[in-house]
Amino acid sequence: MRAIFFLLRLLPILALGGFLHYVLPQHDTVQITSTEVIRTDFSNLNRIFYAQADNGGVEQATRDLRLINTTKVRTYLLGFMPTDRTEVMVYRNEDTGWIWPPYFKFDSADLQAEASAAARADGWYSITHYGWRNRWLSIYPNAVRITPVDGPNPGIVPWFNIFFFSFLFVAFFVVRGMWRQFRERMIDPSIDAAEHQFDEARAGLAQRRSGLRRWLDSWKSKGRQ
Amino acid sequence: MAFVRLLIFALVGLTVVYWSLSLYSASLRRERLEDDYDANPVPGQTREAYVAAGMAAYRKGLRPKLLLGVYVVPIVVVSVIIYVVNNN
Repeated sequence: MRAIFFLLRLLPILALGGFLHYVLPQHDTVQITSTEVIRTDFSNLNRIFYAQADNGGVEQATRDLRLINTTKVRTYLLGFMPTDRTEVMVYRNEDTGWIWPPYFKFDSADLQAEASAAARADGWYSITHYGWRNRWLSIYPNAVRITPVDGPNPGIVPWFNIFFFSFLFVAFFVVRGMWRQFRERMIDPSIDAAEHQFDEARAGLAQRRSGLRRWLDSWKSKGRQ
Repeated sequence: MAFVRLLIFALVGLTVVYWSLSLYSASLRRERLEDDYDANPVPGQTREAYVAAGMAAYRKGLRPKLLLGVYVVPIVVVSVIIYVVNNN
């Protein structure tokens, strides 16, 4: 039973962690090998893992999807521990536009051109992306930015995530302070007032009852007590 | 259309944040004024008058205006993100 409650409590934390892992930007160090465009038919299962038609276009049931094929440095611990080995990685390249997630990316065509130029050279690039690669669902992380780096181990500092989590940390304490202030100034006084009223009502009732009791008692014969 | 939707949602969300923050900030100030008066009562001035005067001064001060940054900061952040993501 306790294990079930533990799991139930763990579930929202895992969901939030997964959500942030999906949405927040991450940096991969890659060599771009080629770019391509495939037609994509979305299913109900994987539709939410794709963005929408390019900003300014119209949404259809099926459309072309820009892909960037790369060889990526394998990493551990969310990319913080790079290894010497590489693996292949495929990124999609879609506009997020004004819609979720808020990357405000409108330049997927230019990014594809950059990727094509990078594919001609052998250099190392840092790809900023969000999202997951999942072979079973056929989903790809969305590439947001491509910047040239010196080598396979550039030591990128995730500034955005540092700011984001600092903001989250501060926001948590502000909201907690807000809630405490609200409870202290709005809820507690009204509960106190209600309790006070309740006490008064009870005291009044007790008094009235004791008056009645006194009156009833006055009918009792003195000797029986 | 997506832009209009974003504007509407952002306006609603930020207004909620703005109202919460301004109520919170005013409540903190009011509590401090009450505590000040309780610790050091001003002769010839009731507690209510002291707090009301303090709150009037608070509303004229800089803090409520700084809270409008709730609307300004996201616009700046979004502009910076748009620039960083879309420039080559």
